[in-house]
Amino acid sequence: MAVKEKHILNRLYFVSGMFFVFAIAVLLKLLSIQFINGDTYRDMAEKRTIKNVVIPANRGNVYATDGSLLATSIPKYDIRFDALTPTKTRFDAHVKSLADSLAAFTGKSSAYHLKELQKARINKNRYFLIARNLKYSEYLRISNFPLLNLGAFKGGLIVEQTTKREHPMGAIAERSIGYERVDDKGNITRAGIDGAFGAEYLRGVDGKRLKVKIGNGQWKPLTDYNEVEPKDGYDVYTTIDVNIQDIAHHALLEQLEYYKADHGCVVVMEVATGEIKAISNLGRTSNGNYYEKLNYAVGESHEPGSTFKLMALVAALEHKVVDTTDIVDTKNGILSFYGKKVRDSKHGGYGKISIAKAFEVSSNTGIVSVINEHYKNDPRKFVEQLQKMNLHNTLDLPLIGEGKPIIPHPDDKERWSGIALQWMAYGYGVSFTPLQTLTFYNAIANNGEMVKPQFLKEVRYFDQVIQPYQKEVINPQICSPETVAKVKQLLTNVVEKKHGTGHKLYSPNFSMAGKTGTCQKNYSDKDKLNYISSFAGFFPAENPKYSCIVVIHEPDKEVGYYGADVSGPVFKKIAQKIYTDTPLIDEVYNLDFQDLPVEKDYNRFYSIANNYKTVMPALVGLPVMDALTLLENMDVKVQIELKGSGVVKSQSVNSGTKLNNQQTVVLEAI
Amino acid sequence: MVQADHKRHFKFDWITILLFLILLFFGWINIISASTTGEITSYLDLNQPYGKQLLYIFLTFGLIAVILAIEAKFYERFASIIYLVSLLSLVGLFIFGKEVNGALSWYGIGSITIQPAEFAKFATALAIAKYISDLETDLKTIKDQIKSVLIITIPALLILLQNDTGSMLVYASFFFVFYREGIQQVYLIIGIVLILIAVLSIKFGVLITVGTFAAIILAIYFLLRKKKIQIIQLISVFLLISVMSVAVKYVYQTVLKPHQKDRIELWLRLEKDPEKLREMRQTILYNLNESEKAISSGGIKGKGFMEGTRTTGKFVPEQHTDYIFSTVGEEWGFLGSAFVVIVFVLLIVRILFLAESQKTQFSRVYGYGVASILFFHFTINIGMVMGLIPTIGIPLPLFSYGGSGLWAFTIMIFIFIKLDANKVNEW
Repeated sequence: MAVKEKHILNRLYFVSGMFFVFAIAVLLKLLSIQFINGDTYRDMAEKRTIKNVVIPANRGNVYATDGSLLATSIPKYDIRFDALTPTKTRFDAHVKSLADSLAAFTGKSSAYHLKELQKARINKNRYFLIARNLKYSEYLRISNFPLLNLGAFKGGLIVEQTTKREHPMGAIAERSIGYERVDDKGNITRAGIDGAFGAEYLRGVDGKRLKVKIGNGQWKPLTDYNEVEPKDGYDVYTTIDVNIQDIAHHALLEQLEYYKADHGCVVVMEVATGEIKAISNLGRTSNGNYYEKLNYAVGESHEPGSTFKLMALVAALEHKVVDTTDIVDTKNGILSFYGKKVRDSKHGGYGKISIAKAFEVSSNTGIVSVINEHYKNDPRKFVEQLQKMNLHNTLDLPLIGEGKPIIPHPDDKERWSGIALQWMAYGYGVSFTPLQTLTFYNAIANNGEMVKPQFLKEVRYFDQVIQPYQKEVINPQICSPETVAKVKQLLTNVVEKKHGTGHKLYSPNFSMAGKTGTCQKNYSDKDKLNYISSFAGFFPAENPKYSCIVVIHEPDKEVGYYGADVSGPVFKKIAQKIYTDTPLIDEVYNLDFQDLPVEKDYNRFYSIANNYKTVMPALVGLPVMDALTLLENMDVKVQIELKGSGVVKSQSVNSGTKLNNQQTVVLEAI
Repeated sequence: MVQADHKRHFKFDWITILLFLILLFFGWINIISASTTGEITSYLDLNQPYGKQLLYIFLTFGLIAVILAIEAKFYERFASIIYLVSLLSLVGLFIFGKEVNGALSWYGIGSITIQPAEFAKFATALAIAKYISDLETDLKTIKDQIKSVLIITIPALLILLQNDTGSMLVYASFFFVFYREGIQQVYLIIGIVLILIAVLSIKFGVLITVGTFAAIILAIYFLLRKKKIQIIQLISVFLLISVMSVAVKYVYQTVLKPHQKDRIELWLRLEKDPEKLREMRQTILYNLNESEKAISSGGIKGKGFMEGTRTTGKFVPEQHTDYIFSTVGEEWGFLGSAFVVIVFVLLIVRILFLAESQKTQFSRVYGYGVASILFFHFTINIGMVMGLIPTIGIPLPLFSYGGSGLWAFTIMIFIFIKLDANKVNEW
């Protein structure tokens, strides 16, 4: 027996020993999980199941100068449903009415929604999508549906807000207002004002929020509050004037469509300050529509053609090598340099004319002769004068992608050639963006003070001005006041004189000044030869308020291509609409109209309401709504039975009958 | 002591009761954390698991009173009847049962569900105790061994047929009882060898397994040559092992369900491609992965009651039932987990030693049965939650949410406490 006891005790120790071994294994494993491999698990856990989600800050708005919205961020809401959160009782009690409400919202059947909701519950879907991209009002409506109105903890409502950038003005100035897009890899595409001032002002500072993984690659917020509150971006007030922008946009669009041009742009600038009042860029799509394709006005540097004659002439006048009254021989309309010919658009030329007239009729040979004669021995002097007038520098705009101006210098062996000077004189071999050309014209209009084009008026955070923008002077005096006065007169003559190339723009009521430009494009290949028609100038001529440039590329040659024909009318329309003594009045219907039938009904209604208090009035012919109102507002309360809708056709009680309380009146309507 | 002859003396083992109460209370605390979905309006909210569990706990005390009030001899006398009733309740499931998560293990009466498999455990323990303690039973004989194994196998098979593999495996724990009651040592060796064959065959294949055992047999043969072991015996053992190895491999390949195979595959690290292994861990072992992460995030002291982000965030599926231990790990840290492990080990060992001190074989065998079942549950559950063993879904006794489990364990433990308290009256 004693032996057996010992034998059995061994077995007891063996069994309890196993318990201890296992308990120790558990403790060791605990140590391993919590301490040795703890970091690995924790990393895994953090990465896989909790993440800090960026809450994008509300982006600032972009406003026009008058406060109209140009770009804004609209909040959109996604609504999801945690099907496990509601208790069974609550879920069962409300799911049917929730399905009904959803059916009313979506237009799908209630049965469909009921099935989906129940499926979500069965599948333990804690992130069931109910609706996405909702407006605020729609979000309010859905969040008040049965069950969902119990909130996040009892009803399982999950709301997520996203934002969408919208341009309330539609396509107008879309390209200049621009955008800023960030792709998945964090690359940023920027365009226009929105892009240019995104980082500095509009973006704001993003917030952070912890989200937890709930399976199936879906995440829901972990807490009610944000870890880091987002700070909204600043609002940017541009110099864009919505009215002028609208005028410019439509004037350009109309002309582009008429001439079937490839693309074009218009910029309107305030002379004194350089504020851009309108900037419109339209490009043609393959099916012939136009939209804000690229920011041509800022980005596209091209040979300006005749509009550059102004710069050439200003240089010559500054050096006092010529005067406007000097006579020049236009040489039968053809000049030849090293075998290359300069031709006038008028066959046979203009004969011997004053330099002033050569400018006004835009004689290529005339202007080229003058420049050739006075600078052929020292082209450097001419080029350096152009540089002195800041023509070789970019405008240093905040917008991305400003085109570089090109003015060949005699030291620049690649660009300079024997005919560079002569060709430059009438706008070839040099290159400017429309905005750069306009800046020069604006300087002339501004009596020689060259100001930088200004896109922003101020940056604000609610009522607080964060950064006001003042005008920036590039060059306080690009040329002497005498020169300014002379060329201003010439530019005015271009429009006013009968022989001026811009005379088609002439209006006896309103003065404009400017220069046409018809520049050949792709002239090295005859088949591809095309034109750039432009018009740059300012108005009113005597006391300029706005300067404006219109550039239209590749108009249909069949329809026309001269600057005065293609671009001039756009300029004129803008000038007249903005600023003229005889404005073109847009017709507006007289709002003070009278609708006779309504008036008649109203009079009848009014007289019945005043006179019939206890006696049945004649209601036939009255709209049902009026008839009901009348009966309900009488001193006796009658029971009304209504059949049909529209206009009352018959009444069960004859008019003039005295009515009793609770009497039934049947109205039949058509 | 003369007077004592006329009086019943009860000396309840307060240590066991205290350990039981600690586990019960701490378990409920963790069920609150694991099952709450937001604010707690009332701990008695019967729509929430923690509210229901509190109700079950209250009812448990009534149950305890009843069990302790019943005459100790009742359990021995009625052991067979209790066993038969529980078998009937298992059979009844095939007709009246309600299927939940693929297992046909519940009776549904209104909103109450009862899982008879839980109650069958203590019924079987009673039956085994009754059978073994019968004077005519001699566990050394093959006949009685087969009979006692049958007592276990019948409920186990019924439960297996109801697709509740986890609960079925619990019946293996009765091996400890047989072992204690004197079955031959060779069964232990056979058992260990069988486990080795299974693991080796699946992990390394039949050839390596058979080769290894051949080497062992040869070694035994040469070392023990003097004892004149017959070569025939050795060869037949070798053949048996080979057949077993092939059979295990076959069962593994064809009989096991894919999800069971995957669990074993991961446990034995059969998948070598780390990318695929990672993916498997994230899908098949999703629960385990989440549970390990929750435990690891607890650190030494834990995050505190209701502060566990992974617990309140509901990362770990089935956290208030099978994975309740991960809540302990997260919210109470290493200290809390170690405390639970120690309390469990103390409870089991206490019952084991109390069983050893019983005067009747019935009480002793029953006590062993209780300790073994508790131990098995504890081992499998905690091992599973921490990835020590393949995933097998059984609850942590007294801890996991669920009325049937709680009551079954309470009945089981308190019958033993009653038997133990009655030992002063036995002689």
